[in-house]
Formats: sequence, structure tokens, C-alpha cells
Amino acid sequence: MAGRSGREISAVPETSIKSKLLSWEGALILILVAVNILGVAISPNYNVNNVLREMPRYLAEIFMMFGMGYILVLGDIDISVGALVCLAGTVTVLSSNAGAPFGLAVVICLAAGLLGGMLNGFIATKFTELPTMIVTLGTQIIFRGIAEVLFETWGNGGGTASMTDTKGLMLLAKKIGPFPISFFCVIIAGAIMITVLAKTTFGRKLYAIGSNKTAAYYAGIKVQRIRFICYSLLGFLSGLCALFLLTATFGSNTTTGQGFEMEVIAMCVFGGIATTGGKGNLIGAFIAAFIIVCLRIALGQRNINTQVILVIIGLMLIVSVLVPALSGALTAKKKKAQT
Amino acid sequence: MKKKLISLLLSTALAATLLAGCGSSAADTAAPAADSGAQEAAPAADDSAAADTAAPAANAGGTTYALVTKSAGNPFMERMASGFQEAIEAQGGTVVIQNPEAATPDAQISVIQSLISQGVSSIAVDGNDANALTAVLTEASNAGIKVLTLDSDVAPDTRTVYCNQAGVSQIGETLMEAVYDLTGGEGDWAILSATSQATNQNAWIDAMKKLMESDSKYAKLNLVEVAYGDDEPQKSTDQTQALLQNYPDLKVICAPTTVGIAAAAKVLQDQKSSVKLTGLGLPSEMAEYIGDDDAHSCPYMYLWNPIDLGRLAGYTSIALVDGTITGAAGDKFTAGELGDYTIEEIDGSTQIILGPPFKFDPSNIDEWKTVY
Amino acid sequence: MKKKSVGQFLSESREASLVIVLIILLIVVGIINPSFLSFTNIRQIFLNNTLTFLMALGMLCVMLTAGIDISITSTLAFAGMSIGLLQKYNILHNTFLLFVIGAVIGIVCGFLNGIIIAKGHVAPIICTMGFMYIWRGMAYVISNNNWASGMDVAGFSDFGKDGAPGPYIILIIAYIIFFVVMKWTRFGRRIYAVGSNTEAAQVSGINVDRTLTGVYTIMGFLAGLAGVLSVSIYASAQPNMQYGKEMDVIAACVIGGVSMSGGRGSVAGTFLGALIIGIISKALPMVNIPNFWQNLIKGVIILAVVILNVVTQRTMERQNLLRREM
Repeated sequence: MAGRSGREISAVPETSIKSKLLSWEGALILILVAVNILGVAISPNYNVNNVLREMPRYLAEIFMMFGMGYILVLGDIDISVGALVCLAGTVTVLSSNAGAPFGLAVVICLAAGLLGGMLNGFIATKFTELPTMIVTLGTQIIFRGIAEVLFETWGNGGGTASMTDTKGLMLLAKKIGPFPISFFCVIIAGAIMITVLAKTTFGRKLYAIGSNKTAAYYAGIKVQRIRFICYSLLGFLSGLCALFLLTATFGSNTTTGQGFEMEVIAMCVFGGIATTGGKGNLIGAFIAAFIIVCLRIALGQRNINTQVILVIIGLMLIVSVLVPALSGALTAKKKKAQT
Repeated sequence: MKKKLISLLLSTALAATLLAGCGSSAADTAAPAADSGAQEAAPAADDSAAADTAAPAANAGGTTYALVTKSAGNPFMERMASGFQEAIEAQGGTVVIQNPEAATPDAQISVIQSLISQGVSSIAVDGNDANALTAVLTEASNAGIKVLTLDSDVAPDTRTVYCNQAGVSQIGETLMEAVYDLTGGEGDWAILSATSQATNQNAWIDAMKKLMESDSKYAKLNLVEVAYGDDEPQKSTDQTQALLQNYPDLKVICAPTTVGIAAAAKVLQDQKSSVKLTGLGLPSEMAEYIGDDDAHSCPYMYLWNPIDLGRLAGYTSIALVDGTITGAAGDKFTAGELGDYTIEEIDGSTQIILGPPFKFDPSNIDEWKTVY
Repeated sequence: MKKKSVGQFLSESREASLVIVLIILLIVVGIINPSFLSFTNIRQIFLNNTLTFLMALGMLCVMLTAGIDISITSTLAFAGMSIGLLQKYNILHNTFLLFVIGAVIGIVCGFLNGIIIAKGHVAPIICTMGFMYIWRGMAYVISNNNWASGMDVAGFSDFGKDGAPGPYIILIIAYIIFFVVMKWTRFGRRIYAVGSNTEAAQVSGINVDRTLTGVYTIMGFLAGLAGVLSVSIYASAQPNMQYGKEMDVIAACVIGGVSMSGGRGSVAGTFLGALIIGIISKALPMVNIPNFWQNLIKGVIILAVVILNVVTQRTMERQNLLRREM
């Protein structure tokens, strides 16, 4: 039993091009192409330059998505990351304004993210009975709460602060050709995160835990330690997200990062990662993220009501999870009919 | 079986495309002027680098003027947008009105980025945050787009001019005078604000506080608390009730926010409290609560005309784009039926002031409640 | 051995430990601000949190089946906005009919959730997340940037006026019905059965799909009802109303001891959980804590209470083990 499920989860690579095209990722690539064709068709301004220029704010979210992918593969969830982005951004801005050089501010930003993630990981692994949704709901309120207190006690009050020394941020916001630096960072981070999840034993362990925690434990996997690492990693990536978001906003306020957690979960799910754990991969999520971003940019350029865009994303989400489920049900029915 | 699977997958792709199609038709009704505008502006904007070709045009025709509101689903913003649209369409210009999905600077950034891609000629922004829009607005200016603000300002060096509904000190004075009048010159009063980062709210509150310190007339007034209702009816209700319970001697609540004042008015009126309310509110929201007798909680309140504010921003946009004004102090222009305006230098930034806040009391509320 | 010590009783009943938390909370707040314990204030705790109390019942059922519904406040906004607009444009002013329409909208929204989750085997959080975006967006679209305000809903808002009995009556009836249904009816036991062990429930002849659909439909019904009540209580309908409050409802259930993995939880616990959430939001502005500390403290209390739950649970299990060894 263990052996069989083990083979399923490690997803023995199939090499034929046909099977690759038939996979969910293949379909996602087709959708991505379709979205871009749609963009060009509906907006005269939908071109490489404009899309790349509009992208940085969304790119920041993709860093976080990689970490969320790991957490979802584990069968957990983390809804505190949006608030963590707010907290990390806030301490960065405030420490920089208090005289910290940019390098130190960056370290503080990433450390704040990491610490927040570690707190999530600590509570989630010490009190395993608690559903992670509730743990991170609590820390979500707490992270934003801490940011509010910091604004009031350290900042000029008023729940908002902007960085006075923006030289460092300008450097990060620079472009190489039409490509913003964050674009390359996302690609590099993506390559690492995708490879680790798909090709290393660490990645396999995540799938094992996501498929069956108890079995993974008896197979000698240090379940709680790995969960802790993943939460810390997600925290760190949230810090990174905060940093790159700062290159677009130069400041932080109490609404920073609001709703990000749901957006990145949506990207992961659209990319084929199941919230129940053990299924999907980051390649799909990566493509899906770009689908959503390109769609938003294309529809935005057509000045489509922002709320209608949200409705479309909601519908896409539901359809994307219904399709595999329905096709699975069809297979089952056919099998039944045959026997 | 696999064939069936892929056909299903493809149908998803198709569905997504179709949905987007439906979406665009839905939006046509929401922003009728948007489509033609995007296309007309297209030649100038095929390349963002070439957007500086958006040189001053002789007339407003064929030029696209954009307005970015605080968020969707807000009647104040809706009225403002209608005034903006009216002023510009009367001059033959095209209007794009963008309501961000949420009242956050993040959402505004995406929307403004998109407008830069479209190569609009001007962007009027109602800022959700004073600082967070700095980068994107600088980018817009670099692309040759005229940036101005209205209602809620952003950092002064990132925009040309700010269409201010009324001077900060003017609003502070008006509200302070109302509090003085309603308390009878002495006693406890409290402020119910929106969120703690709302720029204009904070500016008005600061102005009121400074006035209390500097003017001995207000020496006997005691500001007990500034509560924040976050512009949520439920939280505003909780906060108002807490004010009533914590300060039994409270005489007046001043709520300079349209959501907060309506929530507070309902609490006071339902409880038949003797505490009186004033502040800034929409007549249509407050009609139920305005009255001189004890059955009504709000004797009078203030606001400016959001339609006129939108109009003023519209005329300012046109003047900026056709080069009548540059946004420097002392520039003069005519804002259609609103009359002549001069750009003034106030608190170190260039502003156009619409006029003093308008008083709504039992005598005029009925005629205004259907307007906005 | 027959007589249980007080300590044992407390650690064995989750509700009892919640009552203790509640009493401590009340005493602390009462000492700092005695007026908190006044009748008016306690009444207002229920009125201001009617929506949380009401929707927590539906969330209880959903969570008993190991599900979750994060679309509820979007459903609420869609239903509330709809009935608000009906009044704004003078189409309908009959309070009863407005309630019916709001409830029907809620039922349809909930049924869609239910049918997709049950028949499509979609993870509840994902399905409801999709509808969270959809219904909220729809509320904005139909509102066309307008609110239904005090004067539009003038007569209707009397129902939820501070001091009017309407909301309390709805709450009392809802809690009685749910208490009875969950405890003594077949449907109630089916919900528990599906949540404890879906496969076992299926084998023993329970129609799992139908139960799931039913549960989400009930949730939708309550969310629709909450939407109507919200318009009545706050005398306004806005498309962004109660944004993000679904988390309060979920927190209320979890604090009340409802397990997110299904099968465990009670109406009494849910009530106490919602009450604790209500007291926190009502008390924080009243104990002279500066505004900017309030969220932090709220988060800490929620986390502390759920962790306390786990700790009591653990002691309980350890004691059971000890007793067995004896």
C-alpha cells in the first residue's frame, strides 16, 4: 500500500511529448497563449513593453506564491502572509527612516518575514491539533496589529509611512532592457523552488506528508521539522515580496498586502495544486500566475470594471477545479459501465 | 479517455476567453466613453517610451482624460466622476473613469499603470495614501501625462496641482465652530474618524486640534478621544456606542467621514441620546437624521458638492493638457460655469480651492437629498 | 471514583472551559469599566453581532462536515445589496417579502456552493473562494456605485433598530431550531456522521451528496438572512459591507470548539464562541486601550483561546489515560 501510494506521489516522469501536452500544465500553456492573444486583440496597447512595465506589482506576489505552493502541497494553508507583507514592509520603511542603511533595511525586511513565518511554524508544529487556517488567522490579525502599533509609536502616526531614502529601492526597480530586475529574480527563485519540489528528496517528502502524514511519519520523515521549514520559507518569501512591493510603492501602510493571501492561493489552485495536499506542482502554478497577471493587465487596459475582473477570476477558479473533478467522475462512470 | 480530458481542458481555455468577452461587454455599459478613448489614444501610445509625443493639443477633442477614484461602490466617488465626465465631454474630450477594486494604494497602482499603457493625456487621482503612489505617479509624469489630484492629495512633488474641496484650515475652522456652537462653548466632545491613515481626515483633525490650542475661545472644550471606525458601519457603531458609555458627559460627536457620520447618527437617534452630531456627510445618507428637534441626532452638517469637485478637476485637466496652466502658483483659468480659479500656494503646495464647505440643515436638506 | 472533581468536570467539558474564559473576560472588562456590564451594553453585544451569531450556526454545520465556507460575507453583500436596491428604486417596501427575497438569493448562492462541492468533489475552500470573488463582484456590479441609504430603507430599518425586538427574536428562534435539529433529528445526526467518517456514512446508507448540498444551502440561507438583517440594523446597504468578516465567523466556531476536520462541535459551543468574539469587539474600545493596539490584542486573545482549547484537550486525554491505567 505504502509502496503504491509512494509511486503515485513521486509522479514517475513520463517522457512522451503527447502526454506532456495532455497534462494540466500543457493546457495552462495553451490558456496563457490564449490570454495573450486576447490581450492583443482587445487592447491596442497590449505589448511586451507595457505588460512588463505593469508587471512588477504582481511579480512581488509570485515570490510568495512559490512558498504557498509548498505549504499547500503539505496539505496546510497560510492566510497570514498578506499581513506579514505589511509587517515586513513597515519595519523596513521605519528602520530605514530611522537611519539604517539600505543593506541593513533589506536584511531587516527579510528577517521580519522569516521571523513571522517561524512564529507560524512554531505554533503550527507545537499545537498540531490546531488547523493551520486558524493559527494563521490569529497571526494574520496579530501581524497587522503589530504594524499598526509600530506606525503609531515609531512612525509619524497615521498608519502610513514612506521611505525617505529611496536610492536603494530605485536600484532594485531598475530595468535591464524592458525587463525589470524583479522579473529575473522571480525566474531564478522559481527555478530553484520548482527544482527543489520536483527533483529533491526534500520535495518528495513534502508530497509524502501531504498525501498521508501518519504514513510519512512512520516512514521516518521528520514531519514537524519539515513543516516548520516550509512555514519559515514562506515567511522569508513574504519578506522578499514586501521588498519588491516597496520598489513599486516606496512606502507601507496598514492596508499593504490586503487580500494577497487569497490571490496567491488562487494562483496555486488554478495551477493544479490541491489544497488537500500531495498533488500538483509549481510549474503549473507558475504558468497560472502569469495567466492571471496577463489577464488582469489585458482587461485593465480595456478599462473593464475592476469588480468584473474579480468575477471572471472567481469563475476561472471554479471551472479550473471542476474540470479535473468532472473528467475523473466520467472515467469512473465509464469504468463502472464496462464492468 | 485522455482525448476527452484534453477536450475538456481546451473548453476551459475557451470558457475563459469567452468570459473575458462577456466581461468586456459588461464594462461597456459601466464606462461608455472608455472604449473609443482607448482606441483614439492608441497611435500616441503604441510604445510607452514614445508617450511623450502627447504634446499639448489645441482642443480637447480626441484627447483622453482619466480619473482614478478611491474605490468602486462609493456614491461620493460616483457623483465626483459624473461631474468630471460631464465637464470633459462638454468640451469634446474622452473620459476614462477607473474605480480600483479596493480602497488601497496597491489597487490604485495597478489602475494607474494601466492608464500609462493606454497613453492617456491626464490622470486625476483621489489618493488612497499620501506616499504610496509616489513611484507610479512619477512614472506617469515622465511619460508625459499630466497628473493632478482631487479630494485627497498625494505627495506634492508628484503631481502638478491639487483640486482641494476646501482649505484644510477652512474645514477645521468650520467644524470647530460647529462643535463650539453645539456644545454651547464648553464640555466634552469626541471625533469619530475613518481609518488612521486617511490623509485628509488626519489633516482636518490636526487642524482642529491646533485651533483648540491656539484660540482661547475653545479653551473650555475638551476633546476626549479620536475614535476610528475604519469606514465600516459595524465598527463605527461599536466605536460610537463605546464613546457614549465611556464619557457620560459627552456633548458632541464630530464625524468628518461620510460612513462614520451615518453610523453614528443612527446610533444616537435609535438610543434617543442627547449627544449631538455634526461633521461631513452626504445629504442622501443623512436626510433621515437631520433636524432641529430631539428626535433627530444631527442639527446640521457640512460637505462640498462632489459633482462640482469633479467638474473642477475636469476643467483643470483640460487646462493642464492644452497648456493654459502649468500648475504653478498664480496661474489663472476659467472652469466653465464654475467661474474663474487661480492656483494658490497653500502650506507649501499648489492647490485650487473649490470654495467653502456647504452647510446642510433642516431648511435645505430636502432639496439636496436627491442630488447627492 | 463516581464523583467527579471540579477540575475533571472542567477539563471534560469544552463548553465549561469556555464559560470560564467568558467569566474571566467579563470580570476583567467589568473591573476596568463597570458600565460594560450594564443591560444596554449586553443587549448591544447581541445586536451588533447578530450577523456573526447567525452565520456561525451555518458555519457550524459546514465545519461539522469537514468543510468551510469563505463566501458567506459575499453572499451577504449580494443579498443585502439586492434588497437595498429594491427599496432604493421603490420597487418593493414590504419587510416580509424583502426577507423572503434575501433568503432566496442566499439559498441559491448556497445551493450552488453545495452542488459543486458535493457533485464535483471540489475542495470547499476553493469553491467558496471562487464564489467569494463572484458574489462580491456582483454586489458591486448591481450597485453601480450607489448605496441604499437611511432614507431609502426608512421603514424597513425599524425592524433592526436599537431597541426593536426583531433581531433578537430571529436569533433566539434560530438557536432553538438548530439546537433541536442538531441534537434530536435525523438530519442533524447525518451531518455529524458525514463529518466524522464520510465513507462509513456512505456505506451505512446516508446520501452524503444530499447532506453536503443541504448544509451549504443552509449556510447560504443564513448568509442571505444576515444580509437582510445587516441592511436593517445599519440602515444602509453598501457593496463592501462586512468585508472580511467571514473570518470572525470562522474564529467564533473554532473558539467554540468546532473542529475543522469535522464531526465535532455543538450549538452551545458555537454560541459561546460567537459571544466571546462579540465581547472582544465590544470591549476593546471600552477599556481605554488606544485604537492602534486593538487589533493586536484581538489577535492575541483569539490565538490564546484556541491554544487553551488544545491544552485542555490534551490534559483531558492524559487524565483519561491515567484513569485507565489505574
